[in-house]
Amino acid sequence: MREESMISKGNSLNLLDEFELILESDPLIDEVGFIHPSQFVTLNKEATSSLKHEDANFWSRDHKLAISTDVLLPLYNAAKDAFMHAISQYKRHGNLSDASGYASNLESEAMKHSKALLLLSCDFGTAWNFRKLIVSKKQKIMLFSDELLLSALVLSYSPKSEKAWCHRRWVIKMIAGKCSTLQDIAGKESELVEKIAERSKMNYRAWNHRCWLVSYMTTEQVLHELKKSRNWAGLHVADNSCFHYRTRLMLRIMEEHCHKLEDGTSDENNEIYQIWQEELDWIEALIKRYVGREALWLHRRFLSLSWIRHFTTTLGDTSNYRACKSSINGDIGIFMDNELHLANSCSTIPDNDFEDFQAQAMYSATYILWLTKQISDSQGIELPEKPNLGSLETMLNMACPERSFLWDILTRITGKCDEVLKENNC
Amino acid sequence: MGELVVDKHVEYILSVEKRKDSFESVVLEHLRMNGAYWGLTTLDLLGKLDALDSNEVIQWIMKCQHESGGFAGNIGHDPHLLYTLSAVQVLALFDKLNVLDADKVANYISGLQNEDGSFSGDEWGEVDSRFSYLAICCLSILHRLDKMNVEKAVNYIASCKNVDGGFGCTPGGESHAGQIFCCVGALAITGSLHHVDKDLLGWWLCERQVKSGGLNGRPEKLPDVCYSWWVLSSLIMIDRVHWINKDKLVKFILNCQDTENGGISDRPEDAVDVFHTYFGVAGLSLLEYPGLKAIDPAHALPVDVVNRIFFQK
Repeated sequence: MREESMISKGNSLNLLDEFELILESDPLIDEVGFIHPSQFVTLNKEATSSLKHEDANFWSRDHKLAISTDVLLPLYNAAKDAFMHAISQYKRHGNLSDASGYASNLESEAMKHSKALLLLSCDFGTAWNFRKLIVSKKQKIMLFSDELLLSALVLSYSPKSEKAWCHRRWVIKMIAGKCSTLQDIAGKESELVEKIAERSKMNYRAWNHRCWLVSYMTTEQVLHELKKSRNWAGLHVADNSCFHYRTRLMLRIMEEHCHKLEDGTSDENNEIYQIWQEELDWIEALIKRYVGREALWLHRRFLSLSWIRHFTTTLGDTSNYRACKSSINGDIGIFMDNELHLANSCSTIPDNDFEDFQAQAMYSATYILWLTKQISDSQGIELPEKPNLGSLETMLNMACPERSFLWDILTRITGKCDEVLKENNC
Repeated sequence: MGELVVDKHVEYILSVEKRKDSFESVVLEHLRMNGAYWGLTTLDLLGKLDALDSNEVIQWIMKCQHESGGFAGNIGHDPHLLYTLSAVQVLALFDKLNVLDADKVANYISGLQNEDGSFSGDEWGEVDSRFSYLAICCLSILHRLDKMNVEKAVNYIASCKNVDGGFGCTPGGESHAGQIFCCVGALAITGSLHHVDKDLLGWWLCERQVKSGGLNGRPEKLPDVCYSWWVLSSLIMIDRVHWINKDKLVKFILNCQDTENGGISDRPEDAVDVFHTYFGVAGLSLLEYPGLKAIDPAHALPVDVVNRIFFQK
């Protein structure tokens, strides 16, 4: 700390100059990180090409840039001061006629400093906003592409940066009207998210971005994404966001399917039935292989509920689903029997000390209770028979007696079932 | 179990502002307005708001106001709904809402509502259900909810609801406890909680409590003190808070204190910050921890402040 405060202002400006020079000399830098200067040596051993730049403050090679943690504070202060000064100058003079080149000079200065600043402070909104202002004024595809590069670079050191993801969405929306390759962009963006998600686990912002892209995808792309993300999900079974992404894709497929049924352009259910069935089978296999994973059981809740709503006839519909009722006529009783069978097979705890099996038992019991609640909540329900709540109670008692809210819910379901049965008997 | 070290936390909050010697502290200056809200609301909940000079704070806040009526995170920065709500909340803490031109702020906010009822966070157009909450909460405090289209705003929030009962950033976005707080809070303020399936959402929220007693914000994540606020306040608004184990949660939060130097961290033994200090204390307030002021789960302000806004002319 003492050392940092002793660096004079003049030195800070030299630092900023040096930093910006490095950025200018290699516009293809695709990764930046803050590291302790002692690690520069290790970096040298790993690098493949010749050194591009190295001193006590920066290290750059193979389009990778490392900034010494020792200089972050003075460098940030210099970048921020330079940027704030430049935009205030720009706001004062930027609207002058550009004959002298003064305005455009101010503009490029501010752009340069905003880049330096954002590589140190990823969510500095005012710097992102300034870039949006300049780029939207010029409306050149090249400049929009540069913004995608810069935000990707920022995400390389701060993969959760909300403002960087937001900047990408802004750029994509700007080029959406002009550029015929929007689907290409959606595809590439999706790959970027996957790359970042690999390094930054359970990254809500990244996956949220990927979910947002779905509305820009063609049907073929959606199907392709569903196929492609399956492999990744199978290797990251604790990443709920990836399973939610699959939920998003599947709902989009279901939505389109329902539109087709409504329009009368299709009465084909087999394809969508197959998608659901495959997903159910696959998740079942994962549940058995990876014991005690919450995300898998939650994904199954979604799959089963939408399967029941779409492919069974005994359940009264909510209005959303009435229009696109399937002709497959599955039986809800048989479906639930199968689910109970799965849950039962997952609720044996071989060794009380083994946490994963306890978790598995809890998730399987709550899974059945959740489905039972959803079914009993649906309007116009005609229960084939009173569900076996007694065995559910036993399962809950064994797996998670401390979760008192589940007992509340069970009581409510019992009450509801009794009511329905009474009415039916009258 | 240790107790809440009130005096240490007050000291810590007062010291945060003075720290300018590390990259980690200065690099957050763009959201200083949020920091002011977190720090000052904590002080008020601890009954120590008079520990600093309110005039100085108010003068600084007003310097952050943009000509559009919105507030920035710091002087010279661009305005955003995120900072506008914090600015209005801090002024409310000090009973100084009268220094505002409420119509001007309200115009800024209502100008950000889109055709589909959603809100952009600022003029650059990013949409998020969080921004709906910021707008609704802020206009509510300013008594200007009539300036926006409440019905459309509510319908947009309802469209962000998922099969699991939770809410995401936009329609089809993954459920997240922070987003759920925003959506439930906005629905509560506008009297529209009938859009929530309380048992289903309550269930999802209760499943956030992990073995240690702490709450996480999404499935499979580690517990974090900040979710004590987001999950708890949502549970209270939908009347399901009796479904979680409160004693274990109190214990978890207290274990995240730095009992020597003050402040609360995300998890036991981690470094403290003002953000988690606020959420820890606010969570304890919701859990009726003795000696703390009560906090309103929807407006995220002490109950006496909210009462002053709505029941005093």
